[in-house]
Amino acid sequence: MIDEFEFFLDKPWSDGLPVVTPTEARLATMLAATRRYPDEPIGRIPPAMEPVTVRIAAIHALMAGCRPEYLPVVLGALPLMLREEFNLNGVQGTMHGVAPLMIVNGPYAAHIGINGGNGCFGPGFRANATIGRAIRLMLLNLGGGMAGIASATIFATPMRYTACVTENRGRSPWESLAVSKGYADDDDVLTCAMVESPRLHFDDVSQAPERLLTGIADGMTALGSWNMHARSDMVVAMGPQHATICERAGMSRADVHRWLVERAGRTVGDLKRGGNWRRERALQFPIAVDPDDDACFIPTLKDPIDLQLIVAGGWGPCTAICHGWSGGSRAVHGHYDAEA
Amino acid sequence: MNELPAAELPFIDPTAGGNRPAIMLAARPMDLAGKVIAMIDNTKEQGALILETMAQALRERYGVSKVIIRRKEHYSKPATDQLIDELAQEAQLAVAAVGG
Repeated sequence: MIDEFEFFLDKPWSDGLPVVTPTEARLATMLAATRRYPDEPIGRIPPAMEPVTVRIAAIHALMAGCRPEYLPVVLGALPLMLREEFNLNGVQGTMHGVAPLMIVNGPYAAHIGINGGNGCFGPGFRANATIGRAIRLMLLNLGGGMAGIASATIFATPMRYTACVTENRGRSPWESLAVSKGYADDDDVLTCAMVESPRLHFDDVSQAPERLLTGIADGMTALGSWNMHARSDMVVAMGPQHATICERAGMSRADVHRWLVERAGRTVGDLKRGGNWRRERALQFPIAVDPDDDACFIPTLKDPIDLQLIVAGGWGPCTAICHGWSGGSRAVHGHYDAEA
Repeated sequence: MNELPAAELPFIDPTAGGNRPAIMLAARPMDLAGKVIAMIDNTKEQGALILETMAQALRERYGVSKVIIRRKEHYSKPATDQLIDELAQEAQLAVAAVGG
């Protein structure tokens, strides 16, 4: 008699937690959520390069605990994450501990209950927990991205269990991230960015944007952050309370984005005090800097498109900052088909 | 308890089947004298320094006839097939460096 829970953990075909046993009956229910042909190829997961089809993605979605209606998001995410500029291969092998954070926008995200409000980065929300977990199980089982095998990660991150949120559209004073990229408000759009766990920035004092954003900018500029030392992505999830302070002072989402891109950073002299500063690294930046001038300002974001500014979380005086990876991964955006 | 063939399990193998043939490791030479060695610089800082130091030691101490050092496009990306094929044409051994 096989204990299926122990079997999947022994193989190992899990992330360390028990998985829902994939049976033919459960798979049929999962596949009923898509009109796509089960053997349709989607791609290969690096670095092991095992193929993923609609059927294999559905198996992993059900193992992760997804409801069938979550499958279109999983299927939509895979081709985005396999784009060359996302560099999944590099992240699977890196010493760093970033994870592909999925920011799911559009009416379908709300329809299936992805949480962008209180506790959105934490436990308790099935869609957030299982959609990101489905992706992770594929990165492990098909890509071989296991620590100590294909992955040289030093710490990894809790975000490698799951990393899936939406924005708090109900309390955001601004348009969504997707709309800021040119999509319509009712488009179902997914953004994926390779980032570390969120670092919480509390500020229950500031009532004006200048002071508030100065503090948030400080959280974006740690000496040991790769954002300071290479072109890296970053996700800043402003709590709706912080975003509202800016909006009431007349700042649009684009204004806050611009403020942070222009003002978050450190001088060369400051960076030399600790962390990853190397002159030759600064010379690789895609922007002109003078590494021999201690007064030269080094912005955290080397290109404005690398900052994904969203409004998420519950009401309260906090913003979450996710730093990025050094190895060259660019955030990806695209439609996902809720009817697929 | 994991010895049952996949077809007899009461549940589905979540992988693509795992039927690809295993790739055998190449035989290791017992002697480096007269050999050509390829080295791949992964572009991280000081990787080249490590490789050049090794190349010198291999020539001086082990009689390696030639060391070819090539640089990848970026440390986070695999070496291209073209680069690997080029090195395989000439070298009997390869060393990949990790700098940083």
